[in-house]
Amino acid sequence: MFDQIPTAFLFFAGAIALFALPQGRLRGALLLIVPVIAAWQVWGLELGSSHTVSFFNFELELMRVDKLSRIFGVIFCLAAFLGNLFAWHVRDTVQQVAALLYAGSAIGAVFAGDLITLFFYWEGTAIASVFLIWARRTEGAFHTGMRYLIIQIASGVILIAGVALYYRDTGSIAFENMTLGSLGTWLIFLSFGIKAAFPLLHNWLQDSYPAATITGTVILSAFTTKLAIYALARGFAGTEILIYIGVVMTLFPIFFAEIENDLRRVLAYSLNNQLGFMVVGIGIGSEMALNGTASHAFAHILYKALLFMSVGAVMFRTGTSKASELGGLYRTMPKTAMFCLVGAASISAFPLFSGFVTKSIILDEAAAGHMYIVWLALVFASAGVLSHSGIKIPFFMFFAHDSGMRPKEAPTHMLLAMGITAALCIAIGVYPAPLYALLPYEVDFTPYTTSHVVGQLQLLLFALLAFAILMRTGIHPPEVRAVNLDTDWSYRWLLPRMIRKIAGVVAALWNGILSFLTQRLKNIIAGLYHSHGPEGRMASTWPTGAMVIWLSVLLGATLIVSFFG
Amino acid sequence: MSKRETDPAKLPALGRMLLWVDKSGSATKITWALAVACGLLFLADFTFEKHGHFDVENLPGFFGAYGFVMFTGLILAAKGLRVLIKRREDFYGDKAVDREDYPDAGLEKVDHDV
Repeated sequence: MFDQIPTAFLFFAGAIALFALPQGRLRGALLLIVPVIAAWQVWGLELGSSHTVSFFNFELELMRVDKLSRIFGVIFCLAAFLGNLFAWHVRDTVQQVAALLYAGSAIGAVFAGDLITLFFYWEGTAIASVFLIWARRTEGAFHTGMRYLIIQIASGVILIAGVALYYRDTGSIAFENMTLGSLGTWLIFLSFGIKAAFPLLHNWLQDSYPAATITGTVILSAFTTKLAIYALARGFAGTEILIYIGVVMTLFPIFFAEIENDLRRVLAYSLNNQLGFMVVGIGIGSEMALNGTASHAFAHILYKALLFMSVGAVMFRTGTSKASELGGLYRTMPKTAMFCLVGAASISAFPLFSGFVTKSIILDEAAAGHMYIVWLALVFASAGVLSHSGIKIPFFMFFAHDSGMRPKEAPTHMLLAMGITAALCIAIGVYPAPLYALLPYEVDFTPYTTSHVVGQLQLLLFALLAFAILMRTGIHPPEVRAVNLDTDWSYRWLLPRMIRKIAGVVAALWNGILSFLTQRLKNIIAGLYHSHGPEGRMASTWPTGAMVIWLSVLLGATLIVSFFG
Repeated sequence: MSKRETDPAKLPALGRMLLWVDKSGSATKITWALAVACGLLFLADFTFEKHGHFDVENLPGFFGAYGFVMFTGLILAAKGLRVLIKRREDFYGDKAVDREDYPDAGLEKVDHDV
């Protein structure tokens, strides 16, 4: 019976059950228990099992359990647990319900065996997650949430349009590997691409994540984009264009992250860069490359959450996440600083940390495929990750200049959440075998070879040395309060102004035409008034004699006509 | 804000240990330690035979040089990019999150007792 319930429904039931409990520890406990039960269920499900229901004329496959969907299901449950633990102090029903519905929808989407089920959950993640932004309850967050929602819903609408066309072409709604070609598959690809933050479609990510609540961002960081990565891995593995899209994704955010002041936005750029590595893995499409993508998504969700937690904890105590305002916090928040450093080392892929054992699979596959330029770009991007996530986040928050702030250490539940996540990051790095066993395909890879370790350490330490030199010589750009333009400029600045401009032109034209027509109308009225008005010729009273004259003229004319006729 | 004097005895033990990094001369020591570590790693390249997929991988110190050069290039390029895309914080108006303070209801600003 228990394994007949789709995992997503456990979260939805939990969200309803929340209302029966008073705010406080009981609710906090429920928020933690639901992901644990779900994880236990996912763990116990037999591979290959499925659960279908009828929907109009379609058979919807609500649960398709295989190794690819299972690893994403497991990490999503884990992320929901850690996020809710970090949010233990939150007494906001909106955020609590949204967190459960959001996690549930993401897990539902991962287990969806057909494209229609996928669509429902796809939109579910969009609608549930926006409340984590709106829950900040400021005008800025409201507007940002609106922009986020429009883009996310658009992704869903494009998805269902693509699915309809795909169904017409193939007669199937099964969610299996597709080949790009028809309009339908391109639309589905585009829809996945929006959520995966492809270049130029990416900016919703950097716009919205820094606007969410402190705990909301931690939860947001785990699901939407990794769901898109899963969808791409399921639907478009081996699609070559993804290699190039992925490479661009790893590269451009590192430049933006370097000069961004809001550390949560730095992390959003860095998230974008990490997705790029996964997208490259999907594009390569070999079994090991897909293993690399799945394992990197797993490790990434943990260290990214850890980094967002550490910035969140600092924000919780100081009210800001801006690098220009922070610094020197290691004195009073040393534990948070240490956890942040673990996250930084993991994302930078230092040996013995999680990023190292997962990212190197993707890099190795690119090299094995003799993609020289791709490989060089990915190695460069790895150094770039170090610069913003490895150095900038911990350095400008906890070290650098003394901001004079002396905030108290993060509360216990936050330290606990960060501690567990940090422990997992290290555990995966030190002993990757259990993670490798979870991967979709057989793993044939040894991360800890001398050349791997020495090569990676060289890359990272020389880059660190470069940073030290640039810092000491004052060449490194300082952190300043500013915003940087990105593609959101087009719809936050340009579009409103264009609309205003066009509206101005249209209004001027309209007014011109209107006044021209009014003038004509006035002239006509004046003319009529002139001839037919009280003083007008046609309206003047004529003497009786005039009528007699005209009558005689008329009679005379009739006489002449009849005389000659 | 200016430098704030803090009684080290009142800091958490871990924070007190880390105070070392702000001592004068520590930054130089760290830089030198890094340089030495880099030198050792470069030498380590000669101690084993490399079987890279590409020829450049087999050059001694390739990853180090590549990391150093590309990192520096990245920082310089980012500085250049900043010239192009940096705007005032209120560029998107006062109703954007960049200009707002985070609502106090969601915070627990507590000072460490120093």
